[in-house]
Amino acid sequence: MAWVHRLWLRLQSLFLRKGLAKELDGEMQFHLDELIAENIGAGMSREEARSAALRTFGNATALKEEAREAWGWTCLEQLLQDVRYAIRQLRKTPGFTATAVLTLALGIGANAAIFTLMDALMMRSLPVADPKTLVRLGDTSDCCVNSGSVENGSYALFSTEMYERLKKYAPEFEDLASMQAGFPYRPVVARRDGTQENARSVMGEFVSGNYFQTFGLRPAAGRLFSDSDDVKGAAMVAVMSYTAWKRDYAGDTSVIRSTFWINTKAVTLVGIAPEGFFGDRLSTSPPDFYLPIETHTLISNAPYVHDPDVRWLYIVGRVKPATQLGPLQEKTSVSVRQWLKETRTFSSTPDKSLPEKTHVVLTPGGAGIQDLREQYQSNLGLLMGASGLVLLIACANIANLLLVRGMRRKTEVSLRAALGAARNRIVRQLLTESVVLAGLGGIAGLAVAYLGARMLLRLAFSGAETIPIDPRPSVTVLGFAFALSLLTGILFGVAPAWMASQTNPSDALKSGVRGTTVGASLLQRSLVVLQAALSLVLLVGAGLFAQSLTKLQATDLKLDSRNRYIAHINPQGAGYSPRELETLYRTIEQRFHELPGVNRVGISNYTPMEENNWSNGVQVQGQPYSGRDASFIKANSEYFDSVGTHVIMGRGIRTQDVLAAPTVAVVNQTFVKDFLPNGENPIGRHFGSPLPPEANGDYEIVGVVEDSVYTSLRWKDHRMYFVPITQRPSSNKEPIDQDLSLYAGALVLQTQWPVNNMEEIARKTLAEINPNLAVVKFQTFDQQIADRFNHDRLVAQLTALFGGLALLLATIGLYGVTAYTVARRTSEIGIRMALGAPRGGVIAMVMRGAMSQTAIGLAIGILATLPCARLVESQLYELKGVNATALAASVLTLAVASSLAGLIPARRAASTDPAQTLRAE
Amino acid sequence: MILKTVALEPRHGWAIAKRIQQISRDVLQVQQGSLYPALHPLQQKAWIRAKWAETETGRRAKFYSLTAAGRVQLENEAANWDRLSSAINLVVQTS
Repeated sequence: MAWVHRLWLRLQSLFLRKGLAKELDGEMQFHLDELIAENIGAGMSREEARSAALRTFGNATALKEEAREAWGWTCLEQLLQDVRYAIRQLRKTPGFTATAVLTLALGIGANAAIFTLMDALMMRSLPVADPKTLVRLGDTSDCCVNSGSVENGSYALFSTEMYERLKKYAPEFEDLASMQAGFPYRPVVARRDGTQENARSVMGEFVSGNYFQTFGLRPAAGRLFSDSDDVKGAAMVAVMSYTAWKRDYAGDTSVIRSTFWINTKAVTLVGIAPEGFFGDRLSTSPPDFYLPIETHTLISNAPYVHDPDVRWLYIVGRVKPATQLGPLQEKTSVSVRQWLKETRTFSSTPDKSLPEKTHVVLTPGGAGIQDLREQYQSNLGLLMGASGLVLLIACANIANLLLVRGMRRKTEVSLRAALGAARNRIVRQLLTESVVLAGLGGIAGLAVAYLGARMLLRLAFSGAETIPIDPRPSVTVLGFAFALSLLTGILFGVAPAWMASQTNPSDALKSGVRGTTVGASLLQRSLVVLQAALSLVLLVGAGLFAQSLTKLQATDLKLDSRNRYIAHINPQGAGYSPRELETLYRTIEQRFHELPGVNRVGISNYTPMEENNWSNGVQVQGQPYSGRDASFIKANSEYFDSVGTHVIMGRGIRTQDVLAAPTVAVVNQTFVKDFLPNGENPIGRHFGSPLPPEANGDYEIVGVVEDSVYTSLRWKDHRMYFVPITQRPSSNKEPIDQDLSLYAGALVLQTQWPVNNMEEIARKTLAEINPNLAVVKFQTFDQQIADRFNHDRLVAQLTALFGGLALLLATIGLYGVTAYTVARRTSEIGIRMALGAPRGGVIAMVMRGAMSQTAIGLAIGILATLPCARLVESQLYELKGVNATALAASVLTLAVASSLAGLIPARRAASTDPAQTLRAE
Repeated sequence: MILKTVALEPRHGWAIAKRIQQISRDVLQVQQGSLYPALHPLQQKAWIRAKWAETETGRRAKFYSLTAAGRVQLENEAANWDRLSSAINLVVQTS
């Protein structure tokens, strides 16, 4: 146990250093006293005795130092000394410290804010047990309910049958769970039985019976699902999310075992999911209810649950320890290929290469289904780059400030060197100072990061009900910010410290400040050039994104959004069967027309400029199948007018186009251009699905409309057709009760004048028709369109922010260096003026210096923007490379800003009083 | 050397210095202050321990004494020294 004792002594010497030092003093004093006493006893005088004793004893101070070193904490002691000294020094120059800390806070804060998002989106695992052993089958974000083949052969979406087979024949998995891919697009209507509450549209996700078990979760109350809940004929049950339980029922345990009406079907709530669990993916609309897959058929009237050709599930599993993922992936791919051969999709496809290219990629499942990540990945990379550049500029600024400070302190440093301070000790001290500065900047940066992240989240998810990311910095972010400040501290501290250490003490002490023309050092000027170049890159970037956004927003959507309101509805959730829909739509049209000011009532499955798309393969009768598809809209007769799409040939949809009437379609111009390219008259032609063969005559084209924009502006050459919402082609042999395409998803209301309380009116009118007709989402058409530009707006705003920040920092940098140069050259300028140099000449001289740095910076910056612009090209809308406008605007901005930065010190230089200067000499 | 002087009884710095001078019959004349930097590492290694007590003249002084670990160390060093010095003796006398 000797080492414990030794450690104890060590620690004692660390914490009781002051006491120990005093003891040492006392001890030595005692020794001296005894020596003196002895000498006096030997007959010396008091003075003689004392000096003799001191001689015998030796250099007490040096000996004390030596003794202290034995305690072994010199290093730490010196560090603390340095830190204390640094803080004293910083406190002495509050202006410098504030500028530096603020600059750093902005630089580090911007980076930490972006990193917070990066961390939450890219790196964080789901709050589940042992996320590392979770594996997802598939690597794409294919969504919702798909049939037909997968073009590139990579499967991520599976049929229920495929899931069940995989679960049965893959012993490598401890558990294999599946979940509805497209739940955010299919909310459910829920109401608790026996209460006065209104039916609400909420998120419900259909999951396999072993879903919670696979994630290793325990209920917050009640119980979670087991396999027996997910079989045909089992009592219908649901699990509620913890958030919904707290939010809607204040954590009341009596909701457990109570009945809920979900899509008008009675379901028993059996338990509450654990706190913090937000589902299997990061989402702005996390599920409030979890429901077993088997009940999807009844609750959502989904006919596809047991159709082996319809893929609608994601699969996530937990592998057994020591499972090799490579062979497992191979095995899974082989099985999927084998089983797919039995499906209609494979036997009917014209693509002969399909079987061999079919495969499944296993990806880490600990972070869940990462569709949000894919959405933001490229943008985040870009923003990380921009904020990195800002940090670099901030570093250059701080380095410059420190250099200037170093010059001012040259005398001090020289004095210390002359008094015998070791060179490495001086360097260490200066480095400590910059690291302390960076540390302060880092702390302030965390505050900036928190506020910045909150702002970013609000911008990024504007309009979303739930923001899935916590803006508070996590441990990772804290670590990141700390590492960043340390790095910047060392980065910008090394150069000034090194330069200070190169000082020859005798030179500086000779008070060599006299009027030499030596201004800012080459290093300082290069830093300014670097800043100018970097900020030009950022400014051009900001310009490009701003242009891209303007271009997007200025594009003619071929829509009219004035006085238009869109209410998303869910008639299936309200309990309507497909047969009852024709009557429902007539009632809706009639009731809304009775309201004052309502001109048009459009009804459709989805609307322009929303994140939805239904498409189908198209074959024109009398032509071979080209393999191309087209998007389709199911709409009522007032739909085109309600969204502002013009019919340019033939007719639109009429009220007479009911279920019993011949099936017709209206197509858009691109459809005509692509499918009937030879100037043929489209009216009267027939088209339909390529399969079954008799289906290609299903629809007769009765009209052509202009190309209104659907889904996204970036979707060019968007072929579309529009069919009456209640019609079914004769080739459709599927029972009408299972035909989900008859359900409308949206109402478009066009009014005579703006109606402020339209939402309230719409909700009331719908509830009067049927209390279960809950509004899923209500927006003005303008809002809906604006939301589609969120991403682009976010990027444009942030790059503008970073560009502005960069400009500001670069300007401060240039100002600092010029002002410093002027201050150093005061006497020289004074002499020049005394000798007759005109004011203008002095100003020109100073400006020349400042502008030449900017000019070099601009030249380098222009060269640097070219490759950078290519990097972001894919994120821009219809912009290629660097264009002249953005470049010229940026160059001009930077030039104006830097001439301002140069002009202030130049004027100060010109107002130098020659007489005063000469007297000062 | 220091260990040896404190082996018999606790002594303070002054006494240790005197004792070394005495025993070595004034052959070893070092700066007496050097004793203190030497004492501290010994203390850190837990070979000696120190405590404050009254001297015979009534002043307070720090008394150092040998610990068990210090005694072992002393024996080892003494044995080493014996071996080394006898080896040197042997070399010096036989050549």
